[in-house]
Order: sequence, then structure tokens, then C-alpha cells
Amino acid sequence: MPLEILLVLVVGGIVGVTVTLHLTGRSRVRELTPDIARSEWLRHAPDDVIIDITVAHDRHSALIRTNSGNGLLWSFGADTVARHLLDFDWMEHPQGFEVQFHDFGTPKVIIRLDEFERRHWRHLMEPA
Amino acid sequence: MTDHVTFPDAVQWAVPFFIAAILAEFLWIALRGRGGRYETRDAVTSLVMGAGNIASGFALGFIAYAFFMWLWQITPLNLGTSIPVIILCFVVDDLRYYWVHRFGHRIRWVWASHVNHHSSQHYNLTTALRQTWTYTFTFMMVVRAPLILLGFHPAMVLFVGGLNLIYQFWIHTEAIGKMPRWFEAVMNTPSHHRAHHGRNARYLDCNYAGVFIIWDKLFGTFVPEQEDDRVDYGLVHNIGTFNPLRVAFHEWVGIWRDATQPGLTLRQRLAYCFAPPGYSHDGSRDNSEQIKARHLARHPEDRGTPGFEQFEAETPNSQAKQA
Repeated sequence: MPLEILLVLVVGGIVGVTVTLHLTGRSRVRELTPDIARSEWLRHAPDDVIIDITVAHDRHSALIRTNSGNGLLWSFGADTVARHLLDFDWMEHPQGFEVQFHDFGTPKVIIRLDEFERRHWRHLMEPA
Repeated sequence: MTDHVTFPDAVQWAVPFFIAAILAEFLWIALRGRGGRYETRDAVTSLVMGAGNIASGFALGFIAYAFFMWLWQITPLNLGTSIPVIILCFVVDDLRYYWVHRFGHRIRWVWASHVNHHSSQHYNLTTALRQTWTYTFTFMMVVRAPLILLGFHPAMVLFVGGLNLIYQFWIHTEAIGKMPRWFEAVMNTPSHHRAHHGRNARYLDCNYAGVFIIWDKLFGTFVPEQEDDRVDYGLVHNIGTFNPLRVAFHEWVGIWRDATQPGLTLRQRLAYCFAPPGYSHDGSRDNSEQIKARHLARHPEDRGTPGFEQFEAETPNSQAKQA
């Protein structure tokens, strides 16, 4: 196949699929509730015993306290990603916190928090 | 042997079909309200990975092709290009695919290339196109060497390999439940391949087939999809990025960081490169056998069921001992 035609097909196909999905509402981000956060955490870390769950007001992040330490669960498109808070840095962000994992495949996540939540989460995330 | 043989690049010619089939699957799901899920960024990442795979073929494909042509020069055998030979080549190459795919899940160096195909938490036709950019660096082209030394022309071997990949495109869907029983018995199907993409303990390291599922049945890696254990797609530790560069290279970076950390023996450094995924020198990570064992500790009722056959079913005596 001529390269120019292949290029047009590939670029046109990607743009077409992207626009179609976006316009039909497939860009919505997963919303978390305490129950969803619980089941999603156990999906990622089935050996854990959950102590309590704090869901951010925007419903896109949750701090999970477990028997094996704290963890962070956050919306990732229509799905979720979870990490134990073991090897990470966190810093203030205009919208809340930025958590940086030392992981090329999961570099960072921004947790959006209001002023009240920010104090509470800071307290929860401080190393014991 | 230097005879000139050409075959079309089947994968390139299939690109219009890929795009049409993705749109058709999406419409089917949207109209029926079932049969799979689509998410914009996930799908775009998969499609960009597919485009990158074609580009990496243009950029690096000459390395494998030069190796194959060198083998073709030294082999005294030439089976020709008749239809029966092409069919035979397709079947033998599918056996080759089975083993390369199995190595891709059991050797971290090869997994580093293949992992991106499993990095989506979705399972639809775009997932089929989430392909590696780094296959050349796995050196798995050597597994094709026997085919060429046996007298299959390199162009034919690459052609049937392309057909193999095209076959695998349509099985990346939840829109099809089960195919007829005879088909499920012989061929790789959406059901068999859904199980392969599962991160559930039961489905780890199973169903490596490309076209014919018989290889898994022959080599003891077949696990049928279970109605009572819905497939959870993705990686044991799902990645948190849609950036194609990070998707393509994250496991290579992981290998580098693991193997170069201070204080390791040479054996440990090599194990970080070539042992099954999940290896760690300090036992801080779990490989698939350990994940299965942990699952059975939580769900002893699954012992001996598909995917857990290597763990014998609990006998009344062993239960009594545990009690």
C-alpha cells in the first residue's frame, strides 16, 4: 500500500474514532463512592483489609487506610488505578495535592481537594 | 538461495478493515447497550500504539529481515511457494507464535515488549491494535529461524505471520460470547482470548494461542473462560498513564531500575532481566504462581478448578490437618 494512503488511513482513523467516542460521551471519568472505592481497591489489592475510606469531594480520588498501610485510588478514565503509598512524594498543588510515584508507568496524580479536605488529607497522609 | 519472492504486507492492507470493524463494534455496543466498553483516551492510546507498531516495523524491520535473508542464504532447503506449503507454513508459524507469546509472558525481557498489549483495562477491538514498539529488542526473531532453515521463504514466513495477527484482531471483543463448539475446540476465539487478557489469578499465564487453541491444550496452558469468574482485564498492577511513550517503555525502565540497583549479585541482576515477571531479590513482589497461591488461600474452594490445576484439590485429610 502506498505510504501516503496508509498515513491518511491511520491518521484519519484515529481522529475519526476519537471524535466519535468523545461526542458520544465516552470521555466521562469514573466517579467514586465509598462502596465503589472499596470494591475497586480490593480488585487491585485483594489481600488487604480495609480500615476506612475517604473519598474526595470531586469523587475522583480516595484515600484508603488498610492493614498494610495507606493507599491511593483514583479515577483513570472509565476505570481506576490504585497504589499503596510506599515510595512516593507529595506536594501542595493549587487544586489540592500532587502525588508523585517513582514509577515510569504511573508518574503522578493530582488530587483535587477543597480547603477543609486538604487539612484532613494532609493529616491522613503524613507518615505515622 | 537468492530467488526473488514477494508477498503483500497483509497487515497494512487490513488497516481499512480494522477501522471499519472498530466503528461497527462501537455502534453495536452503543445500540445494544452491552457487549463491551469504550473509553476515549484508552482507545486513542491503543490506536496510537498500533500506528507506532507499524512505524517501528518500517524503522527496525530491516534487522529481522536481514537476519532471515542470511538464514535463507545458508539453508539448502526450499519448499517453494505452493498453496499447500503456504498453509503448512501458516500452521507451523502459529506454533512459533504460541512459543514466542509464552516466552512473552514468562521472560521479563520479552514481557517488557508485550506488556503494553495487556496494559488496557478495556477489551475491545482497539485493544487488539495496542501493539509493541520494541519487539526487535526482544530478539524473538530467532524463534522464526527454524522455519526458514526448513525451507520456508522469509517473505512467506512474514506474510503468514501477518495473517496470524489479522486473525487475532477479531477475537479482541466482548461482543461475541461463544462460537460453535467445534470452533471453540480448535480455534482461538474471543472467549479463549478474553481469559488470556484476564488479571484474575485464575487466568494468569494461559491461552497463548494465536490462531489454533490446540497448542494450549497440547502444552497444558489452556484455561476456559468461566461464567462464575468474570474476566478482569489489564495488568496485575495496572499502569496509571495514557501516554503512549510511557506505555511502550515502562517495563524496560522498570528492568533498568531493578537490575542496576546497588548491592545485587550478578545472578540477581540477570533474574530481574530474564526471570518471570514478578521476580524480586527480596521477595517483595509476587509472580503468577505466588498470586495463584494467595488467591487459593482466600478461596480454597477454587483449588483444582481451571487455572488452578497445579494446586491439587484439597483432600479431606489435608482439610483436617488445617483444621
